[in-house]
Parts: sequence; C-alpha cells; structure tokens
Amino acid sequence: MHLPTNTSPDLCRIAPELVLCGFGILLVLLEPFTTRPAAKRALGWIGFAGSLGALASVRIAAAHRGVAYGGVIRVDDFSLFFHVVILVGVALAILGSFRYLDEEQLQRGEYYSLVLFAAAGMGILAGAGELVTAFLGLEMSSISSYVLAGFRRNSQKSNESSLKYFLLGSFATAFFLYGVAMVYGATGTTRLGNIAQAISASGANTLVVLGLGMIFVGLGFKVVAAPFQFYAPDVYEGAPTPVAALLSSAPKVAAFAIMLRVFYVAFGPVQHIWFWMIWSSAVLTMCIGNLGALRQSNVKRMLAYSSIAHAGYILVAFAASTEIGIAAALFYLAVYTLMKIGAFTVITHFGGQEERYLTLSDYAGIAKKQPVVAACFSLFLLSLLGLPATGGFLGKFYAFQAALDSRLIWLVCIAALNSVVGSFYYLRVIMTMYFREADLEQQWTPQPVAGPVCLALAIAALGTLYLGLFPGHVMALALRSAASLR
Amino acid sequence: MPMLDHIWILPLLPLAGAALNGLLGRRWPREMVNFCGVGSVTLAFAAALEVAREFFLLAPGQIPLVKSFWPWIAAGQFHVDFSFFIDQLTLVMLLVVTGVGLLIHIYSTGYMAHEGGYYRFFSYMNLFMFFMLTLVTAGSLAQLLVGWEGVGLCSYLLISFFFTKKSAADAGKKAFITTRIGDLGFMIGILLIFWTFHSLNFTEIFAGVASFPVETPGHLGVMTWICLLLFAGAVGKSAQLPLYVWLPDAMEGPTPVSALIHAATMVTAGVYMVARMNFLYVHAPVALLTVDVIGAVTAFYAATIALVQTDIKKVLAYSTISQLGYMFLGCGVGAFSAGIFHLMTHAFFKGLLFMAAGSVIHAMGGEQDMRNMGGLARKIPWTYGTMLAATLAITGMPFFSGFFSKDAILEAAASGPNPNRVLWALGLGGALLTSFYMFRLLFLTFHGERRYDDHSVHVHESPASMVIPLVILAILSVGGGWFALPKLEGGANYFFRFLSPVFHASDELAASGRGVEPMAVGTTLAAGIAHALWQPAVGVALLGFLIAWWFYIARSNAPRRLAESLHGAYTLLLNKYYVDKIYGSLVIRPLLWISTNVLWHGVDESVIDGAVNGSAKTVQSTGKQLVEMESGNVRSYATWVVIGATAFTSLLLWRLGR
Amino acid sequence: MLPHNFLLSTLILLPLLGVLGIVFLHREDETWIRWLALVTSVVEFAASLWMLAGFRRDLAGYQLVEFRHWISAPSIHYHLGIDGISLFLVLLTTFLTPFAILCSWQSITDRSKEFFVMLLVLEAAMVGTFVSLDLFLFFLFWEAMLIPMYFLIGIWGHDRRLYAAMKFILYTMLGSIFMLVAILWLYNLTGTFDVPEIQFRLQAGLVTYFSGRTEMLLFLAFFLAFAIKVPLFPLHTWLPDAHTEAPTAGSVILAGVMLKMGTYGMLRFCLPLFPDAARAAAPVIGVLAIIGIIYGALVAMVQHDLKRLVAYTSVSHLGFVVLGIFAFNQVALDGAIYQMLNHGISTGMLFLAVGMIYDRRHTFEIKEFGGLATPMPVFSSFFLFACLSSLALPLLNGFVGEFLILLGVFAKHRAWASWAASGTVLSAIYLLWAYQRVCMQQVTVEKNRTLRDASPREKFILASFSVVILLMGVASPLFINRMEASTANLLLQTSPRESYLAHQVPMKTLPEYWRRIAPITGRATLTQALPLPSNTSAGIENASAH
Repeated sequence: MHLPTNTSPDLCRIAPELVLCGFGILLVLLEPFTTRPAAKRALGWIGFAGSLGALASVRIAAAHRGVAYGGVIRVDDFSLFFHVVILVGVALAILGSFRYLDEEQLQRGEYYSLVLFAAAGMGILAGAGELVTAFLGLEMSSISSYVLAGFRRNSQKSNESSLKYFLLGSFATAFFLYGVAMVYGATGTTRLGNIAQAISASGANTLVVLGLGMIFVGLGFKVVAAPFQFYAPDVYEGAPTPVAALLSSAPKVAAFAIMLRVFYVAFGPVQHIWFWMIWSSAVLTMCIGNLGALRQSNVKRMLAYSSIAHAGYILVAFAASTEIGIAAALFYLAVYTLMKIGAFTVITHFGGQEERYLTLSDYAGIAKKQPVVAACFSLFLLSLLGLPATGGFLGKFYAFQAALDSRLIWLVCIAALNSVVGSFYYLRVIMTMYFREADLEQQWTPQPVAGPVCLALAIAALGTLYLGLFPGHVMALALRSAASLR
Repeated sequence: MPMLDHIWILPLLPLAGAALNGLLGRRWPREMVNFCGVGSVTLAFAAALEVAREFFLLAPGQIPLVKSFWPWIAAGQFHVDFSFFIDQLTLVMLLVVTGVGLLIHIYSTGYMAHEGGYYRFFSYMNLFMFFMLTLVTAGSLAQLLVGWEGVGLCSYLLISFFFTKKSAADAGKKAFITTRIGDLGFMIGILLIFWTFHSLNFTEIFAGVASFPVETPGHLGVMTWICLLLFAGAVGKSAQLPLYVWLPDAMEGPTPVSALIHAATMVTAGVYMVARMNFLYVHAPVALLTVDVIGAVTAFYAATIALVQTDIKKVLAYSTISQLGYMFLGCGVGAFSAGIFHLMTHAFFKGLLFMAAGSVIHAMGGEQDMRNMGGLARKIPWTYGTMLAATLAITGMPFFSGFFSKDAILEAAASGPNPNRVLWALGLGGALLTSFYMFRLLFLTFHGERRYDDHSVHVHESPASMVIPLVILAILSVGGGWFALPKLEGGANYFFRFLSPVFHASDELAASGRGVEPMAVGTTLAAGIAHALWQPAVGVALLGFLIAWWFYIARSNAPRRLAESLHGAYTLLLNKYYVDKIYGSLVIRPLLWISTNVLWHGVDESVIDGAVNGSAKTVQSTGKQLVEMESGNVRSYATWVVIGATAFTSLLLWRLGR
Repeated sequence: MLPHNFLLSTLILLPLLGVLGIVFLHREDETWIRWLALVTSVVEFAASLWMLAGFRRDLAGYQLVEFRHWISAPSIHYHLGIDGISLFLVLLTTFLTPFAILCSWQSITDRSKEFFVMLLVLEAAMVGTFVSLDLFLFFLFWEAMLIPMYFLIGIWGHDRRLYAAMKFILYTMLGSIFMLVAILWLYNLTGTFDVPEIQFRLQAGLVTYFSGRTEMLLFLAFFLAFAIKVPLFPLHTWLPDAHTEAPTAGSVILAGVMLKMGTYGMLRFCLPLFPDAARAAAPVIGVLAIIGIIYGALVAMVQHDLKRLVAYTSVSHLGFVVLGIFAFNQVALDGAIYQMLNHGISTGMLFLAVGMIYDRRHTFEIKEFGGLATPMPVFSSFFLFACLSSLALPLLNGFVGEFLILLGVFAKHRAWASWAASGTVLSAIYLLWAYQRVCMQQVTVEKNRTLRDASPREKFILASFSVVILLMGVASPLFINRMEASTANLLLQTSPRESYLAHQVPMKTLPEYWRRIAPITGRATLTQALPLPSNTSAGIENASAH
C-alpha cells in the first residue's frame, strides 16, 4: 500500500512500537559485544528502559489521536489504555526475570529483545483498525512468545511447552486468517468501520457469520477462552516462570483489545447473533478454569487455570455488550495484569534454581521464613479471589454490575458461584503458607529477595491496592476508552 | 409510715447478708458469718413486724397498698416497675416467712456447725429469704416470677449443697428442671395475662377481671386457660401430681433446708399464687375443679407412699406433698382462706417436724433410717416432746393447730361453695393415712427397744441453739390454730375474717350467685354442721393412731407379716409406684437417644454436613475429571479447537437463521 | 476531645493505629505487643463510650453521620452513621475486644504479634460493618471481617482447625457472594449504594421495574447471607466446628459479635428495604427459628465436648433473636436487639470460662472434668453465674431479652411463643447438666485435684462480665430506651404501604413467590431498551468530568 506523503504524525502515532522495536534491535546488536555477566545484566536494564521509554512515548501518541496510515492504525483512548496496561505488564515481567535468568545462566540480550518485539506486536494489536494489521500484530507477538516459551533450551518441559504453543498457536492463527478472508469475501473490506457499514447495509449473511466464528476461534485461543484453553496449563507450566508471567498477562490483554474492537466495531450490528457465543464461552471458561484449578498441586499450573477462569469473568463483562461492559472488561484487564504478574513473580522468586519449589507442599510454613513476600502473595491471591479492598474485587464488581445491567442474571449467578469455588484453591495456598508447618524433609530456605523482584512486587501490590480502594480514575479512563470505540 | 414507704428495704436486708457472706465469708470466722446470716434475717423479721404495725394503722381504703419504684423493663406497650403489693395475705406470708425463716436460721447455726462451706450455706439461705420475700411482696406477676425463679435457684443451690455427692447434685438439678417444666406453663400464662389485661400489675389485672364473665364448663375461655397455665407452675413449685417427683429427692439437702424451703415456705408458693390470683380462679370453675381434684388426689396418693418409707426425712417429704395437696383442695373448693390457714399452720408443724427430725439425725450421728432407731424418747426428751406436739398437730388431734386448719378444708370440701363428696372422702382417707404414718414415725423413732449399736452411736440432745427454736415452733403448732377457736360455738374465725378482704371478690361473686361460693367460714356455717363434720376427721385421726400403736407397739412383727401377705401392694408403694422409673424410660432416655442419634449424628452430621461436604467433593471430582482431559497430547487439543469452532459456528448460524 | 463529626471514623481507625504500632514493634518483646494491643482496645472502648454520650435517644434517624465522596463511577460514598440499633452493637464489640485480648494474655505464645494484629484488624472491620451506611462500604467491611477470623482459626486453632477455617470461610462466602449480586442489582434498580437513599427511593415508589418477584429475590439473596452468619437452622453446621476449633478469643468474638452481624443485617437491610417480602417470608423463617431453638438445645444437651456444647447453645439463642425480629412488633424487636447483646455477653463469658479450664487441662472433653468446684471454687461460682444468665434467670440479662421476645411473639402467634418458650426448659437442662458434670461431684481425674483457682486476671475478666450481666438484668431501661426510637421507626418503615405495592402484584405466600421467580432467565435482547441506563450515562458523565 502506498504511504501518504506526510508521515511524521503517523510516526508519532506508532511511537511506542517504534521505541520498542528500536530497543529490541539495539539489544540484538549489543548482544555479541557483551560477554561478562554483569554486562549481560546491563542488557536487561536496557530492555527495562526500553519498556519504560515506550510507556513514556505513549504520551506522544496520545498527543496525536486519530488514525495513522489511512486507518490501518487507530490511536484512540481505547488503544492508549491498552498500551499502558500492556507496557506496564511487560516492564514488570522484565523486572521479574533478571534474577531468574542469572540463576538459569540464560542471561542473554535476545531474551529482552524478544520481549520487546512481542510487546510491539501487542501494541499493534491494541491499535489495529484493520484486520490484516491485526493479524500482523498477532503473529509478531505470538512468534516471539513461542521462542520465549522455549527459552530454557536445556529443559525438556520448556521445549515441549514451546512446541505445543507453536503448533496450536499457528493452528489457531490459521483460523483467524481464514475468518478474515471470509469476512473480506463477504464485505469486500478489512477495515473494521467499513465492515460494520457493509453488514448493516446488506444485513448479515452466512459468510460473515462463518468469518465471525473463525475470528473468534483465533482470538479465543489467544485469550485462553474455553474450549481453546487446553494448551495454557501445559505451556505456562513448561515455560520459564517469568515468561509464563508475561504470557498469562500481556498477550491476553492485547488479544482482548482486538477482540473487543472487532466485535463491537466491525460486528456491532450482529450483536444479537454472537451474544450467545460469548455467553456460553464465558460460562465454559469460568467453570473449566475454576474446577480445573481445584486439584492442582503445582502452584504454577494452578495459576494457569486461574488465568483461564479470569478470562471467563472478563468474557462476562464482554457479554454485557454495553459500554459499561467494555469499560468493566478494560478495568478488569488492568487489575488482572497487575495481580497476575505479581503472583507469578512471587512464584519465580520462591521457585529457586531450576524451578525446584513449585508444589504446594513446598509452600508450607513459608510465611514464617519470608513474611513480607508471603503477605504480598496473599494479597495477590486474595485479589484474584476477589476480596473487597483489592483490585480483583472491583474488577468482578464492575463486570457483574455491567452484566446485571444487561439483565444477565443467570450468567452473573454462575459467575458468583464460580468465584466461591475459586476462593477454595486460592485460600488453600494461603492456608499452606500460614497454617501448615514445613515437613522435616522440606526444610529449605528461600533465597533472599532480589532488588528488581522487590520493586516489581511493590509496584504490583500497591497497584492492586490502589485499584481496590480508589478505582475512580482508572474506571473513568476505562469508560472514556469504551466510549471512544464508537 | 417509714417502713411501708420504703418497703423495698425489706427484701434487700437478707440480700445484703447473702452478698456479704458470699463475697467475704470465706475468710470470716463462724461468729461473723452467723452475725451476718442470722442478723440480716432478724432485721427482716423486725421489719416485717414493723410493717404489720403500720399496716394495722392503715385505713381500709388504703388496702391493698401498692408501692412502685424504679422501672425494671419498658419496651413498647410493655412496662413493668419494681413494685410492691401489701394486703392481709402479703402480711400473713411476710410474718410466716420471716418468722419461721429466722427460727430455722438460728437452728442452722447449731445444725451446720460441723459442716464445711458454712459461709456458703448462710449466703444461700439469705439469698433464698430475699427471693421468697420478693415473691410474697411482689406487686406484679413479673416480679412474682423473679421470686418464683429465684427460690427455685436457691433450692437448687441448697439441695446440691453437698455437691460432691452425685445424688445431691442430681437431686438439685432434678428439682430445678422439674419446676422449670411447670414454669413453662406459668410463663405462657403470664404472656396470656399480659395480652388479655395489657398489664402485669395485680391492681390492673384484678380491676380488669370484673369485665369478664364467669366461664361455664360449657365454654372454656381465656380465664380458664390462664388459670390452668398458672396452676401448671404451681404444680411444679408445690410438688403436686404429676410433677412432685423432685421433692422426695430434695431431701438430699441439709435438714434445715428441707425445713425452710421444702416444708415451710417455698413449696407453699404455689398455694400463695393461686390464692393471690383468686380473682381469676373464681371466674374459671373448670380450673378450680382441676385444682381441687389434683390437690385431693395428691393428698391421698402421697400419703400412701409415706406409709412404707423408712427414711425419716422421706416420710416427712411425702407428708409435705400430701399436706400441700390439702391446701390446694381448700383453694379448689373456693375456701382460699382455709388453704392459707393450713399453709400457716403447716409451716409451723412441718417446719418443726423437719427440725426435730434433724435433731434426731444429729443425735444419731447422721443416721436417717428409722429401722436403726427406736427408744430415743428418754435419750432426747426435748426433741421427743416437740416432735410429739408436731405429730399431734399434723394428725389433727382436737385443739392442735392442724385440727382447725385441716378441718376447715374438709368442711369446705363437704359443704363449701362447690362441695364434692368424693374429694372429701379422699381428704378423709388421707387424714387417716397421715395419722398412721406420723405415729408410725413417732413410734419407730422414739418408742420400742433401741435398734442401734449403743457403742458406735453416742446419742445426745442437741445444743440450745437447736432446741429453743424447736420449743418455740412447738408452742406455735399447738396454739397456731386458736384464731379459729370462736368457730367452735359458731363464732367468727378471726383469721378468715382478717383475710376476707383479700378474697372479697370471690365473696361478692358468691353473694351475687354469679360464681362459685367461697367459704365465708364461721359467719355462714352453723355450729351444728361443723360439729357433725369434725367428728369423722377426729375419728380417723384416732383410728390412725390406734392402728399405728397396734402395729408398732403392741404387735411389733405385724408390719412384716402384713408386708408379706400384701407383697404386691407393698413393693408397689415401696417403689413409689415406679413413677421415677416410668419418667426415666418414657421421657428422659428417649429424649437423649433422639437428640444423640437422630438429631446430632443423623440430621447434623449425616444430612446437612453430608450435603455440604458431599457437594464440595462432587465439585472436586468434576475438577479432577476435567483435569484428566488435559492429556498433554497436542492432537487432542487441536481436536478440541476444531470441535469448539464447529460448535460455535453452528450456534452462530442457528442464531442467524432465527 | 474527639469532634463528633469524626467520631465513627476514629472508632474504625483507632485499632488500625494500634496495628501500625504493633507492626513496628519487634516480635520478640511480646509484653509490649500485648500491652499495646490492650491499651488500644481500651482506648477504643473509651471512645465508644464517648459515642454513647453523644447519642441522642430521642432521634430515630442516623446520628454522628459522616458523608464523604469516595468513588465516582459508580458513585460510592464513605457514609457512616449509627442509630439505636447499631449503637449498642458497636459498644458490645469494643467491650468484648479488650477481654478477648486479656484472655489470650498467656495462652497465645506462638506468633503473638500476628495474633494481636489480627484481633485489632477484626475489631476495626466489625465496627465498620456496624456503622457503614453505604452498601459497598458495608460489603467491604463484611468481607474484610472474614480474613482475620480465618487466620485466627487457622493459625491459633485446635486440631481440626484447617477444616474448620475453610468450612467457615466458604460457607460465609457462599452467602455473601449472592448478597453482592443483590447489592449490584439493587444499584441497577435505584442507581445508588447509599442505604438511606435506596430506602427512600423504594418507599417512595420511585423505582421502576421493582416487582414483587424482584423484591423477593433481593430479600432472599440478602437473607441467605445473614441467615448463614446467624446461623439459622439448616445453615448452622459451620458454627460448631468454627467455635470448637477457634482459640478462646476467636470464639468470644465469633459468638459475641460476628453472629450478630447476621441479625443486624436483617434489621438494617432485609426488613426496611424489602418489607413485603420479609412479611411474606416471615412464616417460614419463624418456623425455622423455632426449629433452631429446640434443635440447637437438644443437640447441645448431648455434646461430649464442652465448647461444642456452648457453640450449639448459640444456635438456640440466636433462634430467639430471629424469631423476635420477624414478629414485627415493638416489644419483640426490642427484645431481639436486647437478646443480641445478652447473647454476646453471656455466651462470651461462657466461652471465656471454658477457655480458662482449657488453659489448665488442654481438653474440652466433659468427662475429663468433674468436681472442679473443689479445687476452683471461685471459678465455679462465676461459671454457674454465666450459666444462669444464659438460662434466662430473672434479674439477669438473659431473662429480659427472652421474656420480651416471647411477649412480642405471643401477640402475633401464640403457638410460636409457646414452642419457643420450651427452649427455656431445655436450656436449663443442658446448662445445669453440663455444670454438674464439670464442677460438681467428686474429682474423678487426678490432674484436676491440683488445678489452681482463677488468677486475678481471670477473676477480673469474669467479674466484669458478671457486673454487666447483673446491670443489664435489673436496669434494662437504660439500654432499651435508647433503642426505642429507632425500632419504632423501623417498624414504621416495615409496615406495608400502598405506594410501595402500587406497581406490583401483592402476594401472600412464599411458594407463590417461588413460582414467579422461576421464569427469570437470560436477558432482554439489546433491541429492546434496557432499564434506566441512568447509571451508565451517569458513569460516563463522571468519566468525562475527569
């Protein structure tokens, strides 16, 4: 496609992505010249700086709202909101991975560059105003994630996870692409706005609906909605824990971003058709996530299932199909990112070398060994559980409220029951940390808390609390973003 | 009127004694405890006398005198003060309670001298005095309930005074719970009264009654219900059929306790309550009938059991039950004054009997079985003399107090407002039995050859502190009935005339012929009828004496032979008609079994918790199955993706079709 | 000098202040921690007395109100206030907490720092629950109570503590989650979380789409949460486990205050917000309450475990309270509130006493005891006193409450009152029997011969409770006439109103409601207008305001 002559504002509009890619390339270039571990750690900080820089450059983008490259990229409150959430997630994930990579002797520049490239892809996803661009972003983020999942080369599990992720991921993406093609065939355009016009003009036909389904499959896979969730536990468990932290948060957020955009903007007119799909998928996802997590003895796996469950709650807000519904989903995603990455960071910390201590029994009596970290973990768990005064509660609160506002009483009741079931396995972890005494053969002392981890935990914890006590501002932003979709 | 204006002080005096002894007594010497315990009651007695003095100065219009002080409970329409209601009935009860109470306190200083927990004993006794006084001076049913439950508590505490004995502890518990069962009815009765009269104060209630018609057996209205429910309380408290079972066991308590609580005062609370509520009862003939039937039957029934008891205190216990029956019989036939009269005389002679028995036990060094006594008359003459007086009184020998009171009741039963020949006959039979078992007791204990080991048991007369009260009470039980003397020549009975204002409502009703006819003894009854009627009473008393003499003095092996010949009946009586066993196997054990196996293990653990834990398990197992779907096999995952895709697209197409 | 317009917040913040202090103390110097906790709670109690002084008995409405803006979208306010119903419950909380701390003085040795932190946090949360007038705020405190109690049971509990803690929290959460749904639904109907505001809008009939069916559903959702907390008969099985496993302090707080949360919630929300539903459900609830009274008593009677016995008595006593609440008349209502306080004091004292002998013998098995009156006379007499107050002896607190309840219920339903009254007999049976087996008779177990009698600390605890019991028994007007105005007002709001029934089918019985509840399903398709998107637009306006 030919580029319009005046490109500078457009460049501003994709500033975050530019910064991310810039830093990514820089890291790749620097990599060969760094041999000493200290220097390699410096690369990590550069990566962190990259994410922060991107975060800063969001302001630049914000200054130039509107469409870039003739509608391919949209810079509106919606995409800005998602940019912030994603970049914060990425930054935290990077912080969480320093120490880990040191221990596993994986301290390499490409790790960070991969993370940054993935982030760029997600940014594109968040801002995509057109399906092919969306596909671009999707692939960009996915492929880097595939590599990251297998980053522990010498670990069989890690390779397995990477392979699974790759095979299934590309399978799902194929669905997405297929769907795009169908929609294009039906409407003759891939621009979301135009699709909507075309549909409302000529009404929905089978082709459009088929395309819609396929697109949902592709994206549903990325947001880990049932019945496309199967890969998640295996992949998260196998992937290096910091990577799992990233995978369970940022890509999901981005995928939700594009999902919301596509369904509300492009397929808004046929809402009454896809509503039941979302509804049933939400129910399935919640139930499978929560029930699955009940019996997990491996904390990492348990968190994987819980992330499935949360995808379900977000889908509840999605199903409300009103603006407050969208806003609720946005808010939920913001909270979710914080508490999820927080939880995973704690696991990374406790996991120790070669992720030795991941089973529940290892956590017995850990509250006595490292009270502060344990307290943080409990906070994240309680927030995931949805206890008032934590962000998690308000996430659910808004989601349920939106759903009730659309009279989705049964859906909300199911969600409510699910959150009770869910509370069991979160509380079980807390119980193990505080109530149980460590058995004699499990007398191990966790490593002292590293600085970056500390920082990450502090940010995540404070964020969770802030959103729990003073959700007003963020919710206001979310509402505005939701409004900006129109 | 210093005392009447501050009547609230009267009950508080013993309470103060109780508090002091209870809180500090443990470190005090005996003298100090005595001083507090007995002193407070002495003051109470003095105060009662002062009250009496002032009472006689009151103009008729001022009676009943109602003093109400600070509010106790106030919520919504319900409001009740701490208030006091003083009329002739109150006065009689005040004097009896404080007087007899004082004597028994003095007696206790001697009797309990060698027991542990001396301070505790006196603290409890004073507490009892407090509650008993609250009961008799109460100005409202609510406050009466305070005293009512309170004396129950004290009886519990004192029966199980020797709490290390299981039997004592059991007896105390049994007493409290059995009476509480009766109180259930009492409580409901009070609720009903409140919603009928919208007040619990006696004055309002009595004022309100007038507007209610007298209920005929044909239609049983609220009055009958109220009276029956209240009477349920009386049945429990005054140990009538079927709730009498606690009183015999209550003999586990120290003897002064039996004398004070289980003879003289607390057990008569039921009678007092019925008399106090006579305004209501005269409106409910059916209730009255119930009262006197239960009274008469109990009077006879308990007497039969007393025939074969060998424990000296048990005999007296059953005798108490039977005498209380007489009192209810009196009230039931409408002769409330007669009932109260017998209440008073009974307080004298039964209190005396118990104390004398206590003195015997004291002399025998704790022995209570009459079979191991005999021939004590010469060893402990004072005890013997007083006991003799009491026996003559209770058996109703002419001109002893019991003679007048019991006689008045039988008279009423025969020719009272609602005479009932059957009940009269029962009463008479009871009198015969009474006289028999009392003389049996006397003979077995004091006459005949001694049946104890002279060396092991050193029999000795009790100290003055015990004997003096005995003597005083003996005088009272001899002369206590002489209020009624004039009646012999058809004159007016002072006691009844004194009380008649309390029961004037009933009298008026009688006069206007609307209700049942209560006794206006002496004024209405011709001496001839009286003369004709008290013959049989005296006759049976003498007869009973003769039989007893024949059995236990003349032919001392007759009882055994009789027992052998009438073995069935004998064992039946000996086992008190197996009532306790029946209650045990019909009520208590089933209740425990059901509570344990059906409710606790059944409903609670199996059903409810079963459901709770079961659902939790189901959820977990479903989770397990779900997890098992995680084969870890990529192909199956892909398949699921495809299945999902198909399902959703078909769902979409279906929606599109509609 | 506390300014009245900040008093309630002070009551919530004071314990947290203490927590802050304790956190900064080193875990080794336990004495300091204990004393700091104690001082905090005592100061808190003093502050609550200050509140009592500032309370005007003649006002029916909320007093010492605080109203601050908190969250914009949806509009949630920091709205506090008390009335005659919550006043004494707050006092009860602040009264019990110091003793909960005192009774843990020596028995808590492991992780005492966390223990006292938890206790104080719990106190703050409880006070908050009683004084918050915004549904969101209320729910926040309501849930916040669970976690400290969860830890108290789970860390410092006895053998089966893990099971008990989990059971306790899951049971409660199951109830409260539906309450949350109901709260949100109510918000969507009325557009506010502010309790007085909601009440006004409902009563004025300003709320569209408020059918009898909706009201009943909302009522049931709230009621379920509260009934579990009370606990009402079939939902009570968490209680024996929780009580038995919890440490003494935990049991005291649990029985003393947290159970009252349920009945308080019924008074504050179920009755005034959904009067018609409440009246319609009353027959069923009343019967359940009576079953609870008798059932709880019978099961308590046959327990072998002293603490479990006391726990079951709560089921029986709280049954009285619920019965009183749903009798809908002033006498019973006052009685119910009074009984809530009584139960807090009496059962609290019983648990404390049980805890004291546990500290000596480390068992609750009744047959392990017997004849305690010989080695521990003072303790035994106090224990008996507690039993008497619990079995409603006149002149002690229990009697006033139970009598008023029975009186009020009798006016409405004679059979109910009569059945309920049988509870008084049963309570005498189980308490005296237990007392006999524990304190009377010969000492059977050798260890018991040498037990030391109550220490000065314990004497102080027991004596203070006894004084309160006696005071509440003889001077009930002091308390009740501060409630009257509010209870009368509550009854007024609860009385059926025409405007209220205007746009809904009046319905008689619960089954009928059920039949109407059934068809609710799915959602109104977006093509048809959603009910008042007011909150949506409001939200967005708020948003754009930023």
